[in-house]
Amino acid sequence: MDPIRSVFEDDPDMIDIVREFVAGFPERMTTLEESLAKSDLAQLQSLAHQLKGAGGGYGFMQITEAAALVEAAAKDGSDLPMIKEKLGQLFEILRAVVVPEES
Amino acid sequence: MTTEVPDPNRVLVIDDEESIHKLIAARLRAEGITVTGELDGVRGIARAITESPDLILLDVGLPSLDGFQVCRKLKEHPATRNIPIIFLTGDTTMDAKVRGLDMGAVDYVTKPFEQAELRARVRAGLRTKRLQDILERQSFLDGLTGLWNRPYLDQRLDSELNLAQRYGRPLGLMMADIDHFKNVNDTHGHLFGDIVLQGVAEELRSCARRSDIVARYGGEEFAVLLTDTPLSAGTFVGERLRVSVENRLFEFEDEPVAVTASFGLACTENLTGEVTREALIEAADRALFTSKDAGRNCIHICDGDRIVSVSGNESLFRSG
Repeated sequence: MDPIRSVFEDDPDMIDIVREFVAGFPERMTTLEESLAKSDLAQLQSLAHQLKGAGGGYGFMQITEAAALVEAAAKDGSDLPMIKEKLGQLFEILRAVVVPEES
Repeated sequence: MTTEVPDPNRVLVIDDEESIHKLIAARLRAEGITVTGELDGVRGIARAITESPDLILLDVGLPSLDGFQVCRKLKEHPATRNIPIIFLTGDTTMDAKVRGLDMGAVDYVTKPFEQAELRARVRAGLRTKRLQDILERQSFLDGLTGLWNRPYLDQRLDSELNLAQRYGRPLGLMMADIDHFKNVNDTHGHLFGDIVLQGVAEELRSCARRSDIVARYGGEEFAVLLTDTPLSAGTFVGERLRVSVENRLFEFEDEPVAVTASFGLACTENLTGEVTREALIEAADRALFTSKDAGRNCIHICDGDRIVSVSGNESLFRSG
């Protein structure tokens, strides 16, 4: 997958909080995985919902779209392999995100 | 005294996602808007009550107490009832939007939001708040003179009495009444009477200190609330007001019309018995009536059980 960049990375008002947002991805991924392992679909849904709401605002529309699919799958709840697949796609996107180095 | 309404610019975000708080703060900073945030509804309501922000951005999907429940509680509480609420929602269904608006929200923003849209909706919400602030302020102003009105004075007197007692500071109240005002009206008509009321109001407002609260008490009677002011200092303020009214030039059909006022001053430090709003007003009124009896255009003060003449037509202050 090609690197994913925030559309706001050149915005001086935004770059610091974009970095902070991205730095929080590993922790979010851990919590998402834990919810899946516990089959806590309500928590999974809520975590995905938060990413969906925040992603686009930070300039990552792909995150919003992928998180929406996880949220929908977790809400439906019947198809665990499907949830896993959607979560995998979300993780791929999160891992592809790059931010400019701090100058 | 300030009767201007400041620009509303304090926004409270209630959202369980901290990155949303930071995003909103970054997006609104350029508008000169300050943002505070809470992650759950209970804390959000508490902060709204203590800080009374100008606008609340409220997430619908909060844990435990959801956004609709928080909205209901904010609309029920007298301290937060009039704060505009904009819902933040990831839910784009018509149902959720309609429900939010029906509950008293002024608007909603769908997450993820475009910054231009967020800013525009927040600006619109703050414009609503500003109009509300102006209306609220208007309801406390006297239409003819532009001074504070009686309901405001009553309310402010109560809160200043509390403060004065808590911090052990003296609070003065001066009552002023235009002399022979009925004659002015009968002789020159009510339009001229209004001009006199406005002129006297202007003298009182411009000669009082910045911290004094000048109100039209009713008819031709005015009240000046003197915070942190003992009788001695209040007497000086009163004398300045009396002289400024006396020196104000009123003309009816190019003929000068003499206008004076009588004053009565009381202070919380010099009351006998319990210090209440009624007791303070009664004492100042008693001093005012004595000024009227003593020939008008003078000041009397209420010092315990005694009413004492301090200035004016028979004053120590008056030279020559």
